[in-house]
Amino acid sequence: MQVKEVMSKEVITVKRSTTLKQLLEIFAKFHIFPLVPVIEEDNRLVGIVSFRNLINVFHSRQSEIMKAVPFLDEDEEDIFKVEFTEELGNLALAEDIMETKFITIQEGASLEEAYKLMKLHLKEEFPVVDRAGKLVGMVGIFDIIRQVFRQKGIIK
Amino acid sequence: MNTILGLGFILLTGLFSSRLIHKIRFPAVTAYLLLGILIGPSILNLTSPELINSSGFISNIVLGFIAFGLGQSFTREFFRNIGRPVLWISILEAVLPWVLVTLSFFFILKQPFYVALLFGAIASATAPAATVMVVREYKAKGRFTDMLLGVVAIDDAWCLIIFALSLAFSKAVAFHSSNTFIFKVLFHSLIEIVGALMLGGLIACFATLFSKFIRNQTELLIYTLGFVLLTTGLAILLHLSVLLANMFLGTVLININKSDLEFFDVLKVIDSPLYLLFFVLAGVNLEIGLLKGIGITGIIYIFFRTMGKTVGSVWGGYIVKVEERIRKYLGLGLLPQAGVALGCALIAKNDFPEIGGMIFSTIVATTVIYELIGPLCTKFALQKAGEIQI
Repeated sequence: MQVKEVMSKEVITVKRSTTLKQLLEIFAKFHIFPLVPVIEEDNRLVGIVSFRNLINVFHSRQSEIMKAVPFLDEDEEDIFKVEFTEELGNLALAEDIMETKFITIQEGASLEEAYKLMKLHLKEEFPVVDRAGKLVGMVGIFDIIRQVFRQKGIIK
Repeated sequence: MNTILGLGFILLTGLFSSRLIHKIRFPAVTAYLLLGILIGPSILNLTSPELINSSGFISNIVLGFIAFGLGQSFTREFFRNIGRPVLWISILEAVLPWVLVTLSFFFILKQPFYVALLFGAIASATAPAATVMVVREYKAKGRFTDMLLGVVAIDDAWCLIIFALSLAFSKAVAFHSSNTFIFKVLFHSLIEIVGALMLGGLIACFATLFSKFIRNQTELLIYTLGFVLLTTGLAILLHLSVLLANMFLGTVLININKSDLEFFDVLKVIDSPLYLLFFVLAGVNLEIGLLKGIGITGIIYIFFRTMGKTVGSVWGGYIVKVEERIRKYLGLGLLPQAGVALGCALIAKNDFPEIGGMIFSTIVATTVIYELIGPLCTKFALQKAGEIQI
């Protein structure tokens, strides 16, 4: 069975220009902050925003370029004490906080492949793309588990 | 104290002392180093000889890790991110201390050229941990801060390359001096360097080829660790540069890896205790008796390294036409020196037993001084550049 058969096709997405404030409002109703795909006008996937990226907004400097540097102390910024100006909500855009390096899965991939990839990268959800790199859905570990239960006849 | 007890003691006291020193705003590495000096043979003498003898072993592994990690910087994306101005300034602020310290040790202190060259190479290192800590502490923001972080991010990669080249040359001069022709020296150096690059590249190809068999993060950790140790071990066995072999392993791996495997991130799970041990053992290895003799050596080293960092930044700043406040103060922000310099000094100590003790003691002593005054200079530079308000 292929990923496209079990994935969620209705995905809430944001644009590069979506502000932090809008992002927080869109997802206020959710139990947890989901993995949010950031797409271009033509549906091409350009980034993802997870709750980790939201936390990084609190850090004074968490640059990609410092990744290779050895012996860095953890940034122990206390998110409860950090001072923000109100404008940040409108100034920080999805484009600024999104991750541009992310893993996607092709819609034609098998469920076994998707499950293996989730285990390998310790992720529970992946954006699903077509051959042109356009977002076509999201697949989560629960979609796969539910399919296994369905195959065993536990659910219809 | 037996070795295992010693290890447990070092890890726990290291953790505790880093929390203590954090309160007075110094990076954890300073705490580890001072702890090492305190428990070492010169003061409290709490460490076993076996543990001290394992320093070379641990520092080789740690430097293998660091070089491997820094190898991931050499991608087109990284260079685009840091930008051309940072690239130029970082090259000049790394090369100039190398040249100035080498020349001053050779002409003023009358040291043999290969010793001067090693000191010069170590002088090119900076300590990103201290710089980042000051930036975070004072919430510095702006173009100067961005450039400063960019320069410290790439500087240690330049330092490892400069040190590997200098070490290869110094070994060729020191160990083949009986029938030395400059040609022979260059030939031996070239073999060590080119061989290391070939080894790193070849192992990276193998690592990529077999990575499809990896099924989970645990296997990825074992796999990555295995390849880094394999590279380090083979480089030692074949008398090639451990630093360059591992750095090239990282560089080739990140540029040819299409499987999105996080080879670099996975090692971060285990590197912290190793780094702690490395710094404490660096402190333990300091022979305080040797410090008496390094007064003038230390002063010349500090003076010319400081000059190299500041003049190099100004020069680089002129070439890429950055504003005056940046080129004038950037060098001051680059003065902290720690891990990479100590690691290089430990390698020099192991490879040149006769003069290595003097190199190592000078670097430990100047590291302590730089770690104490360096952050203050960084803060001063950020203040003068107008990017922190105090």
